[in-house]
Amino acid sequence: MAADLALLDEVAGGAAPALRLYQWLPPALSLGRFQPLDDVDTQACARRGVEIVRRPTGGRALLHGGDLTYAVALPRPTGPNGSIESMYHWLARGLVAGLASLGVDAATGRGARAAGPACFSAQQGADLRVGERKLCGSAQVHRNGTVLQHGSVRCRPLEFDETALLRFTSETARATAAGALARSAVTLEELGAASDFPTVARALVTGFEDALGVEFTPSRSRTAPPT
Amino acid sequence: MEFPDHLRYSREHEWLSLDGSRARVGITDYAQDALGDVVFVQLPEVGAAVAAAVSCAEVESTKSVSDIYAPVGGTIVEVNESLNDAPEQLNQDPYGAGWIFVLEVADPSEADALLDAAAYRQLVEEQ
Repeated sequence: MAADLALLDEVAGGAAPALRLYQWLPPALSLGRFQPLDDVDTQACARRGVEIVRRPTGGRALLHGGDLTYAVALPRPTGPNGSIESMYHWLARGLVAGLASLGVDAATGRGARAAGPACFSAQQGADLRVGERKLCGSAQVHRNGTVLQHGSVRCRPLEFDETALLRFTSETARATAAGALARSAVTLEELGAASDFPTVARALVTGFEDALGVEFTPSRSRTAPPT
Repeated sequence: MEFPDHLRYSREHEWLSLDGSRARVGITDYAQDALGDVVFVQLPEVGAAVAAAVSCAEVESTKSVSDIYAPVGGTIVEVNESLNDAPEQLNQDPYGAGWIFVLEVADPSEADALLDAAAYRQLVEEQ
């Protein structure tokens, strides 16, 4: 997440738009910028070896591990094209195009507000759905005339989901939330599409390049150990 | 879209109402419309010193976090605590109940560099 904020700062300083794609090992639960830590069952996270991280972007809790995470940083256009809704729609074109190359027919989400503490329990215009099930959740931070958009494409299911890591008033409430999450979210694997990191990553790079009209230059991972 | 004549405006879409050395600050009608439904406001700390055009608060709307900038420099002397429970006031009444903070302004002449209503309207319309 710190590397993603560094991308935002670099672009704010005049650097070219940047795209970063990554996976998580061990799994991590990311919380939205202002989401209360009280939403999280920290002991359950520790038992399952899940790290807790704070995103600079908004939204609700998201479990990383079976997903591909993207971060794209670019200058914010002036005027209506720089509105939050416009930016989501513009960047969604890249995601939709990339997923289409995998044979996945995704569309922007329907709905208004978050429902509950888990990102994938609800969809908004920022998100992508296949049918009525959410495949990709996205969120933004706007700073110094620059936008950083984070998102998570659900590639493969993990052995547990967000509801195993969040606090609920009762086990009945947890089970209800788990059922709702299972119905509202979907993975590329469940859709029968390619779900391996290199294939999905290549698809997203091409999709974003087409949507943004830029060509990204590959660079070394910021998190790779020194050689 | 409203542009009250008695206010001054920043290019970052904050408004300022100066009364002596005190200035009430919020975001403009244009800004609240661009943000969409505001769900959280991170208010500044009372007593904090802020510089002009530097971020001093944040808002979350439609899963997006945006900075709020101080239009002029000074010290935060009051914040709108009611936004903790009702952040939607930024959308519903941006020039009234949706005010965000009050500054003790270090140099009131800094406000002269802000836009008047006509100039701000022109800025918005050109965008």
